[in-house]
Parts: sequence; structure tokens; C-alpha cells
Amino acid sequence: MFKREVKVNFKNYLIWQCLLFAIFLIVFMIYPSIISSDNFKQIDEMMKIFPQEVLAAFNMDISSINNAYGWLKTEGMTFILLITGCYSGILGSQILLKEENDKTIEYLYSLPVKRSNILIQKFTAGAIYVTLLTVMTALFNLLALMIMQKLNIQEYLMLSLSPLLTSYVIYCLCFMFAVFAHRSKRMTGISLAVVMISYVLQIISTIAESADFLKYFSIFTLADTRNIITEQAINPVMVIITIMIALFCLLTALFYYQKKELV
Amino acid sequence: MENIILETKELTKYYDQFLALDHLNLQLYKGEIFGFIGPNGAGKSTTIRTIMHLISKNSGQVFFKGKEFLADDLSSKAKIGYLPSEIHLYEDLKIKDMLDYHESFFKKDIHSRRIQLTQRLKLDETRKIEELSLGNLKKLGIILALMHEPELLILDEPTSGLDPIMQQTFYEILQEEKKKGTTIFYSTHILNEVSRLCDRVGIIKDGKLLKIETIEDIRHKNLKYVSITSPEIEKIIKDFQIRDKAKRNTIRFKNELSASQLISKLSSYSIDDLLIEEASIEDIFLHYYTEEKHHV
Repeated sequence: MFKREVKVNFKNYLIWQCLLFAIFLIVFMIYPSIISSDNFKQIDEMMKIFPQEVLAAFNMDISSINNAYGWLKTEGMTFILLITGCYSGILGSQILLKEENDKTIEYLYSLPVKRSNILIQKFTAGAIYVTLLTVMTALFNLLALMIMQKLNIQEYLMLSLSPLLTSYVIYCLCFMFAVFAHRSKRMTGISLAVVMISYVLQIISTIAESADFLKYFSIFTLADTRNIITEQAINPVMVIITIMIALFCLLTALFYYQKKELV
Repeated sequence: MENIILETKELTKYYDQFLALDHLNLQLYKGEIFGFIGPNGAGKSTTIRTIMHLISKNSGQVFFKGKEFLADDLSSKAKIGYLPSEIHLYEDLKIKDMLDYHESFFKKDIHSRRIQLTQRLKLDETRKIEELSLGNLKKLGIILALMHEPELLILDEPTSGLDPIMQQTFYEILQEEKKKGTTIFYSTHILNEVSRLCDRVGIIKDGKLLKIETIEDIRHKNLKYVSITSPEIEKIIKDFQIRDKAKRNTIRFKNELSASQLISKLSSYSIDDLLIEEASIEDIFLHYYTEEKHHV
């Protein structure tokens, strides 16, 4: 069953991986020409006009975009967090529900296999792809950046692996929600909403001081990219929170899946 | 003493407020083919799905070989073969891959049985599941249900989609399984299948088990049906208190009078045609379906 899950989800993973590769390949290829152009000086002047809070929302107050790595630390991380987040959410919501929507779940339930086993094998297969997407993107970008410039490897590794924290939480949350659902179309919408709402809350909490509390409702707070750039460290509290949320979601999913009725 | 392979005790299932199964009590014995019939919505598929733990029950118990059959009882599940009325399999796979996948769930070696069945049912393993017709998909479902040599076979409308030659092959396979001691729970709409294959039959209606009888007892019921054609058909219907409606001055009804009583009563009417015949098995089953008061 696990092998089948890995095989069935491979194509989807490949599409998302290629998307990320393509985005960064294009950026890294054209970035040197952007920096050396006259337009870049105008961009730089424009950035100075922006309010400090807006720059802080994209980490542009603590990182310059005059090189590719600087861009990665700012806008690049936004791309990675959003795309890996969307993929994780969709995968989490679909990996269980697809069998129900295709009605193959009746066949699977009639076999001598426990429901808990079905859930764990599917969960594990999905978690592997969530990990792979972030790790392969990190490796790809590392290779590209090392060709282009010198960079702080330790900082880079922490930064590029931090999306794992947000991805795992989004994956586990959507996986848990899917246990209570019967239709995958609705769950896809819910997963994307979780990602977008989290992102918007994160931005607003950075821009408006009075809305700082909103960061506690955003999954993207876990990535904590600002702290990694300024302190050169991942906050262990974020890792613990990630593990706790993931465990809670998995255990809740396991408990309710045993009782789930086929429609 | 006969071995009870499958037993349900007071099995009850509600869909919201709707009572789908009403304290169902069933016993299936080793090596028998048990027919399970009833009109649409009677509760046949609900019974099967509850036994197989595809849906939960509200109360009651299911026993397999004397032991309570729970959802995670894998050793019992490995001894049960299930063929649903609608088969949904992985369309991205070829038949060969599907059978390989199915084999991987069973500890014992069932490969030779798989080859035997695919050859018998003439299924080409190189074909993709998404290309299969309904009949071929059904054949694949039959192979999946039988491949691991189960002790109990639960079949829900098994012959729908099969051509007459394949139906005959399927009946032969079932008879062979029965000889091996396999118990078969056979749910169907097709009444002549039940009379042809089954040892006993259970009739369900509105979630209640109306009757369980042996086919032999049903055949010996000695029910007679009378067909009368007469210009006074409406008067006959009223006087005989027949519930059915006439079609073009002809009525067919179950007769409980002796031949002489019937003829004496009909002598006062103008009769164009009269036919007295033995009830077919289908007539007997329909008689149970339409009766208002029932006892098990």
C-alpha cells in the first residue's frame, strides 16, 4: 500500500517540484543582468521610500536584494513558503479522500488491513513528498547560489529547511480535516484557504504593530525567517510547536478515522 | 451439528431517523449457499455493508465462526471474500498489477488459484482497468473475491453485467466452492438464480427479515395461481376480494380454495378463460414481498 501511495503521488510531486525549479532557475539566470541594469538603481531608491513595516514584512529591512541570495532571503522565501504550503495542504487533503471519491475505499476496507494501517501508510507517503519538495528545492538553490556567489552555508541551510516547519503543520492540519470530510473538491478549497489566510495574517501582523498578536494565528510564524537571518538560529520553540501540532493532528485523525462511515 | 459460519444477532442500523435494519437475526451454515432477496431499499446491501464493517451498526453483533467479528479482526477478514454490487478499482493499474496488489495483502500463496480463475473467466491480465467493460470488471471482482480461497463468500448482485455463458461459468465455480465447504451469502434481485443455486433463502423487506426457508420447502408449498378472463372481471375481483388489478378483463391471483370450491364459486359468472397453475418460485417470493403481516 505504501509503495502504491508513493507511486500514485509521484507525478503530482514532480509537477510542483519542476514549478519551483523553474521559478528559481529563471530568477537566478536573469538576476545578474537585473542588478547591473540602470533600473535596479531606481528599484533601490524606491525601496527607501517604503515604510519600514512594509519592508519588514518581506525581510527587506534586514537583507539587501542586490544579490541573488539577498533576493532569496526576502521574496524568494515567500515563494517557497507559499508554494510548499499550497502543495502540502492539497496533498494532505487529497491523500485520504481520493480513495473515497474514486470509491476504491470500499475495496480497500474489505481487505485484511486495519484502518489505522491505511491511514499511517498514506500519511507517511505524503510526509515524504512534503519533505522532498523542500529538501530538493533547498539543494537546487544551494547549487545555483554556490555557482553565483559566496554565502553563509549555515544560515542558508536553516533558512531553506525552515519551510519544513510550516509545510508539516499545513499537511497535518489538512490531513486531519480530510478525515471529517467526504468530498475532495471542498477540501482543496479549504486547504488553500488555510495557506492564504495564514500568509495574510503574517503580513498584517508585521505591518501593523497593533495587529502583532495575529502572528500567533499564522502557520508561517513557525518558519521564523527573520530570526534565522538576524540571530543565525532556528528558535527551538517553533520546532517543538510544529511537532506538537503534527502529533495532535495525526492522533486525532487516527482516532476518528476508525469510526468514519462510508457514504 | 451444523457449523454456523456467519451469524448476526439483533443487527440494527439507522440512517439518521430511518430504520434500515431492524434487529436482524441470521445464521449461515458451513457449505451452504444462502440466498438473500428483497425489493429495492429492503436493506440487503445495508446488511452486507454492516457485516463487512464498511458502515457502522447502531446495535447488535456479527459473529464469524463463533467469534465476534470486529472491524480490525484481520485473521477473519482474510477468510472472507467480498464482491460488491458496484466495483470500483484503481483505474491507473493493469489487471496484472491489481491482482499483484491484491495478493500482497494475503500471507498464503494464492498465485496458482489466481491463474486458474483468470483462465477460467477468460480475463486478459495485460489490459488496463480503465478500458474494461462492466462485465469484465465484474469478472475481475469475482477473481478478487475468490482468489484467496475464502471460507465465506459475500456476493452482492454478482452476475449483473455478465453474459449468459459467463453466468453459467460463474454458477459452476460457486458449486465447486460449495463442494469445498465454502459458505456463500448470495444477495440478488434475480429470483430464478436463487431457486437454481441456493439451499436456503432469506427474504428481507423494510429492514426486517420476513422469512427464512429452504428452497425445497418453498417448492413444496403447493401454492396455486388462477388466471381468469371474463367480461364480469370487476365483479369477480370484488366478490373474491382480490387486491390486484385486472388487465384487459384478465386477473391472476393466488388461490386458496380447493378446485371444486373454486369452480362452484365461478359457475355464476360468465368465464371466457380459466387457467389453474402451480406457483413458480418467483410467484412465491413475490407473495412474501407483498403480504402485509409477516412472521419469522
